[in-house]
Amino acid sequence: MGMTRQIESAGGRVLGALSRLQSIVGLILIVLLSIVLSPKATDGSIIFLHWGNLTDVLRQMSVVGVMALGMTFVILTGGIDLSVGSILALSTCVLATLLTQWQPGLDYGWHIAIAVGAAVGASTLVGLANGYLIFRLGVPPFIMTLAAMIGIRGLAKWLTRNATMDIGFGQDAAAVFARSIGDKTATILVFLSLAVIFWVVLTRTVLGRYVRAIGDNEQAARYSGLPIRRVKVWAYAMMGLLSGVAGVLYAAQTNQGDPNAGSGYELDVIAAVVIGGTSLSGGKGSITGTIVGTTIMGVLTNILGLNNIDSNVQMMTKAVIIILAVWVQKHRKAD
Amino acid sequence: MSNCGRVLCAAVVSVTLMLGGCKSSSSPTEGARKFTVIFSQCNNAEPYRAAQNDLMTRLWAQYPDVQFSILDAQQDDKKQIDQITTAIRQKPDLLIVAPNQRAPLTRVMGEAMRADIPVICLERDIVEPHYTTYIRCDNYAIGKMAGQFIVEHLKKKYGAPKGNIVQLQGLLGVEAEINRNNGAADVLKVYPDIKYVHTAVADWIQSKAKDRMIEALNANPQIDIVYAHNDPMAIGAYLAAREKSREKEMIFIGVDGLGGEQGGIKKVVDGVLAATFVYPLCVDKAVEIGNSILRNKDFKPQKEYVMTSTAVTPENAAELLKKTAN
Amino acid sequence: MSVEKTLHAVEDEATLAMANPGASARRVVDTMANDPSDGFLSVDGISKHYDGVYALQGVNLQIRRGEVHALVGENGAGKSTLGKVIAGVVRPDSGQIRLMGQRVTIATPMDARCLGIGIVFQELDLFPHLSVAENIAIGNVNLERRGWVNFRQLDEFCRPFLQRVVLQCDGRTVLGELAIGQMQLVAVARALSMDARLIVMDEPTSSLADDSVENLFQIIRQLKASGVSILYVSHKMKEIFQIADRISVLRDGKYIGTRQAGKTDMDEIITMMVGREIQSRPRAARNLGDQPILSVRGLTTRRLSEITFDLRVGEVLGVAGLVGAGRSELGAAMFGLDRILKGTVHLEGRAIAPRSPREAMQCGLGLLPEDRKLQGLMMRLSVRANSSMTVLDRLQKCGFIRGGAELASIQAVQKRTRLKSASYEAPVSSLSGGNQQKVLLAKWMLVDPKVIFLDDPTRGIDVAAKQDVYDLIAELAAKGKGVVFVSSELTEMLTCCDRILVLHEGRRVGLLQAAQTNQEEIMALAMGSVVPDKE
Repeated sequence: MGMTRQIESAGGRVLGALSRLQSIVGLILIVLLSIVLSPKATDGSIIFLHWGNLTDVLRQMSVVGVMALGMTFVILTGGIDLSVGSILALSTCVLATLLTQWQPGLDYGWHIAIAVGAAVGASTLVGLANGYLIFRLGVPPFIMTLAAMIGIRGLAKWLTRNATMDIGFGQDAAAVFARSIGDKTATILVFLSLAVIFWVVLTRTVLGRYVRAIGDNEQAARYSGLPIRRVKVWAYAMMGLLSGVAGVLYAAQTNQGDPNAGSGYELDVIAAVVIGGTSLSGGKGSITGTIVGTTIMGVLTNILGLNNIDSNVQMMTKAVIIILAVWVQKHRKAD
Repeated sequence: MSNCGRVLCAAVVSVTLMLGGCKSSSSPTEGARKFTVIFSQCNNAEPYRAAQNDLMTRLWAQYPDVQFSILDAQQDDKKQIDQITTAIRQKPDLLIVAPNQRAPLTRVMGEAMRADIPVICLERDIVEPHYTTYIRCDNYAIGKMAGQFIVEHLKKKYGAPKGNIVQLQGLLGVEAEINRNNGAADVLKVYPDIKYVHTAVADWIQSKAKDRMIEALNANPQIDIVYAHNDPMAIGAYLAAREKSREKEMIFIGVDGLGGEQGGIKKVVDGVLAATFVYPLCVDKAVEIGNSILRNKDFKPQKEYVMTSTAVTPENAAELLKKTAN
Repeated sequence: MSVEKTLHAVEDEATLAMANPGASARRVVDTMANDPSDGFLSVDGISKHYDGVYALQGVNLQIRRGEVHALVGENGAGKSTLGKVIAGVVRPDSGQIRLMGQRVTIATPMDARCLGIGIVFQELDLFPHLSVAENIAIGNVNLERRGWVNFRQLDEFCRPFLQRVVLQCDGRTVLGELAIGQMQLVAVARALSMDARLIVMDEPTSSLADDSVENLFQIIRQLKASGVSILYVSHKMKEIFQIADRISVLRDGKYIGTRQAGKTDMDEIITMMVGREIQSRPRAARNLGDQPILSVRGLTTRRLSEITFDLRVGEVLGVAGLVGAGRSELGAAMFGLDRILKGTVHLEGRAIAPRSPREAMQCGLGLLPEDRKLQGLMMRLSVRANSSMTVLDRLQKCGFIRGGAELASIQAVQKRTRLKSASYEAPVSSLSGGNQQKVLLAKWMLVDPKVIFLDDPTRGIDVAAKQDVYDLIAELAAKGKGVVFVSSELTEMLTCCDRILVLHEGRRVGLLQAAQTNQEEIMALAMGSVVPDKE
């Protein structure tokens, strides 16, 4: 009797490891393929493996990556957030407005800090509103965030009167901001630190445990007295915050506050999360998986770009990869 | 199917896919030295840009030792920046860029220049001159021509320079937009009775223009001129007016003047547009200059090349259409 | 052919007689009662098991033409399953079904319908947003399949059947607008429209009011007169004796016997339903305190009326009743999951009215839910995560889980529940039913409530694990906790409990001392056949 129990729990461990392993296997596969298919530089080295290129990939996936961290939490609780692209746009606009049209006479450091704080703060507020309304009104997350997607986009465009705001190349606070945050290393550091922080939150904190529990079985969570509303609202607020941070990174990279930014990004974010092994029905997923998923998409974009593949073909390839990734990770239902 | 089976299956499919895709696109031919030319296009979906792509592909195809590829950024700044960054890694012999917006592309084109890659900036400009040469059209002149056309038309209609104008704009951050706007506005500002009753942004897109026009029609009982900053938007406005049976009340002016069945010139011939202004593709010049840059190490292009525009009106439309068919 | 059938029947009965000595005399009488000359449908040796648990074991049944044949048994005896086998909803693992002597295979509901067998489910399988006519038409074997719908044709088709069940409504009425009783009649009409010669009715009156029940019985009598047989699956004794011709009893998935309704009485039927040896020793009497730890007075909710009882310190109170009698609802009401409309609950003298499980836990109540997979465990999370779920507040510092403290707590409580799991990180889905239940119990031990409500804690777990659970309950009681123990197994309740509260249709009908009662008495009360005495 003890023997069977030992076997069944050992089996459980292997199963858990296997499901995490699948997305990593996929990543290794794509990386190997990229090395093979990469064009060569004039000195014969593999362009894909150039340090500059690899860090390019990391930088390029940072915006989506930061948002994917938040989306992991939202999807883990059994919800979804379609408004992330619009929140990103709002963040870039708030940031650009404060950097270029507000002259407080402060030290550049403070000016930038306040502008960034306001942009991220506004985004967090939108996230909070999303979460609160979803819970209060009982509107399904898909619908609520769909409405937010449209509404917040409209808000951003209205605030800026449809115009973009250049974050300049001169010497003012805006330019200093763009140069510092838009720098490759800074962007990558922001992404990686946030990844570590949220990994810790999900695996080591009470909140992380609650998120998983609620996503796995909300009814049981209720029966166990978990603070369901608090956790869900928190998840959406974090999503807003991270979309705001993504917006800050975006504005730094594009030197612009743009109300049209981030259009359609929600699908890239969800794809990254899903490829990483998080189940859309909630309860199954991890931050590690999300990072792997984001990296797979990033490497794929990179290798297809290095080979100058027609963008339409790129889109179709990505679609196939997404389907394959999800299909492979579908577990047979445990009896 | 077991999980292992699925993983294996997926691996096989993705490997085949990637190998097929990547190998088919790059077909290096030994022999003559290959030049790589990469064109970063901001948005394949606009008809003007599709025409650019067509012409550019045809012209470069004349040189068998040039490998030419087009990148489509789908109107997303970050995508274009990322695509150009990756393109720089390949060290192409020539990079042609049609920037999506001014500020976002400035830095990355500077990086290209720093990597010793010649850069041709096409049609739209950027904030700082990080390019080898800039081939543009005089949008301000086009705006002026449009303004003058409007004044003439209104004088003929009412005997005096007065009337209501609806203006449809493209993406606001773009040089072409700014100048087509200002060119006309500067002409019209001396006539106090010519008023802009409604100005809306339609991002260069026909369907959005139609929606904005419907709003304009609802808000204004009398419209004389619709000045749209490109042909698709002008056509969208026409469709909106026709739905409300008010298309006879006003005239429609666009900019681009492309040839072919879908282009603005045909629309002038058909009477949909009262006038359009040929916005040269700038492509022939780009290929000409680009080719010189590739083959002649000492060639120093001008910093700027300005292409001229022609007005297309019912008088010369038919003839121009025939010319563009060649 | 009928002689052959008689021989078959006798053979079957003889086999049964050999397996269960002492009842052979009765069996011979049964054989004559089961004279198959009017036989319409017979099932022989039907067995069905789920996950290693037998729902049906070698069941035989004969249904005659034009009779109302009742099928009774305790919760989980297998009566619904048998009905579903006949109607093609469930495939048996072994056995045969014979229709008028011919062997038939019923693999799907469509097969059943083609053979003239219809079923009216307890939870109606109709479409509330479609019209009455559309409901009758969907999947109907008597209507040609065409690409489009002709409503007039549909109406004409349905009208005679609606008339037969005396349902005054237009075929175009949306089903959801009808009363439950009327919806049931639509289901019957549908069965009739497919020329059903046997209609299986699974707990048909569970949602009906008295006048609708009488209406239904009228319809049933008319159907009988026109030669349609009815298999009436139910646990409502009074109704069965009103409407049935013969009554068959199942117990623990086995066929026990058939009686003519006119020649038997409720006591005999009940004895057949519960009669079994009590295998374990009766418990030693416990030393209980005088003070009630929990006092419930006049508790009324949507499903309960005027429930009153006291739970003393260190007492184990069993709650018995049929499915739907209100046992789980009692727990839900006390635990803040259901709104209390009237009445009071006092815990250690203090009045409590929790509005959520969280509040209930803070007051000192605990609830082990009925369905551990749906309501109790997070299947994909580890043993560790599940066990500590409710007490994470205590095991954290600045929001971070203190892994060491968590592990220590779980180890301590694991010893008490005798949970065997080599790794705490294994997902609970990989554990056996018994161990899953122990994880749930461990969780509640960590919470350490003053009163704990255990809803069917031994359902679907192996014998050894059950014993562990009983030991745990005894331990909890010894520690001075109050334990409320809901179960469908009367034997285990008699062993573990001090007193047993019996519920029937949301009302308390008895509060018995476990040492002084037996299964028959409990079952009789639960089925509402005895006038309840107030204690």
